[in-house]
Amino acid sequence: MNIEDSKLSGWLRESRATPTLPPRFQENVWRRIEAATAPEKSGNWLDALAALILRPRLAFAGVALLLLTGTLLGAQSGVQTARHEAQLRYVAAVAHEFTDRQ
Amino acid sequence: MKRSLLILLAALALGAALFAGAYFAAHRASELCCARPADDLNWLQLEFHLSNAELARIRELHEGYLPQCAERCARIAEKKRELDALLGSGTNATGVPVKQAEIAALRAECQSNMLAHFVAVSQAMPPAQGDRYLAEMKKFTLGAHEKIEQSMSGDCVHEHPH
Repeated sequence: MNIEDSKLSGWLRESRATPTLPPRFQENVWRRIEAATAPEKSGNWLDALAALILRPRLAFAGVALLLLTGTLLGAQSGVQTARHEAQLRYVAAVAHEFTDRQ
Repeated sequence: MKRSLLILLAALALGAALFAGAYFAAHRASELCCARPADDLNWLQLEFHLSNAELARIRELHEGYLPQCAERCARIAEKKRELDALLGSGTNATGVPVKQAEIAALRAECQSNMLAHFVAVSQAMPPAQGDRYLAEMKKFTLGAHEKIEQSMSGDCVHEHPH
């Protein structure tokens, strides 16, 4: 390499523009890399919940709770319905000319 | 993940089915258990916490009132049939207002007897329960008509503004 060539190389290096990086460039690059390689979060909680449901103790407790709640609410609603029907029967007996059922 | 989703959906469906089954079975069972169609006054005793003595007095009033009520209702039904016959024939239009007035008079008589019966029954109860009984009966018997009349009068105001 002669002197002219080395001069030319120097000029070329100087003329090449070096763009300024945006602030926190490296940090953002690493964050994007981590996000891309991390497993899906929704898959995680679904798997955890499914595993929880399949535990025998929890499954039996859930079934018992549902049966108990259903039975109690159903019984309460049945008693109310029966009382309402008894009330309508009484009203119909004493005032059937003046009730909605006429 | 797909397997987990399937498990969750199956668990949800099973849970809903169990809850609904228990609910409807208990509803039906308690409805059948609490229904006592043989006696109209059972509801009164339960709802207004009546003693046996109070219920016996009310039963006396009730059994005295029912035949009179049935007789008045039969008379109203008879007048209604006569009115229907008049309206059906279309020849004697002058008789229609007379028949309507007769029905209205019978209904007014029936209503005043019914209210007198409610007052008598309420007086056979402890005062607070008697007031509640009267309010309930008013709601069921007169309240429905008041609603209709109010809605009708509202319509009239819209149609004929002064």
